[in-house]
Amino acid sequence: MRSELTELELIDNYLFRQLDQQQTQKVETTLLVDEGFAENVETQRTAHRLIRQYGRNANRQRLENIYHLLLNEPAFAGQLKSLI
Amino acid sequence: MTTQNDDPLIDLYRDSFPDFARMIRRMGGTLEQAKDSFHDALLIYLEKEKAGTLHLHASPKGYLLGTARICWLRSQKSDLPLPEGFEPADVQDPETEEIERTLLASLQKSGRKCLELLKAFYYDHSSMQDIAERFGFNGRRSATVQKYKCLEKVREEIKTSLCAVN
Repeated sequence: MRSELTELELIDNYLFRQLDQQQTQKVETTLLVDEGFAENVETQRTAHRLIRQYGRNANRQRLENIYHLLLNEPAFAGQLKSLI
Repeated sequence: MTTQNDDPLIDLYRDSFPDFARMIRRMGGTLEQAKDSFHDALLIYLEKEKAGTLHLHASPKGYLLGTARICWLRSQKSDLPLPEGFEPADVQDPETEEIERTLLASLQKSGRKCLELLKAFYYDHSSMQDIAERFGFNGRRSATVQKYKCLEKVREEIKTSLCAVN
């Protein structure tokens, strides 16, 4: 893997706490002295958050679809109708 | 392929939601509020199940009703803690939240395949072998390289967008 991709892997392992103590210390030292690296770590953290949001949006849509599907079942819809 | 009749999630929904909606009505909430909290709880359930961290001490329905109740109480009083082990995706700062919403919409337009691949790994916790098969790569190694290329692409788009904003 080219070096940029190796760095992505290292940052992933750091953010997911998969590095040993020595490797973690090395990353944290680099964070203090290398601004570009620190920016990459923060951006990668944002990327993870966006991916999680993307996954959640997909799951929320799936749940909405299930709700509307079940509203077509008379027994299910009937139980909810009594609550409106 | 999973059909309507053999999807356990649909069965769980069918079996649990009416009971939860009744519970919320008794507590003074609306059907819409009940649905929102129920979906929040199901989201937690699904994420924990995929991550292998769902440790049930009750039936799935019991777990779900308990979690949904916490979600509903939290929606009424936001200083209550989130259900255990749930990591929020949303940032707390409204301005950053808006920027990230726009960013995600832009990423969806420019590279949905990459987002799907990244979602499969980081959110669905699929194995690299499964990802390789699903996305048509030669093997785990090739899928792993592609995953990092996609992550790099997303990271670069984030940097460009944030530079444009600042």
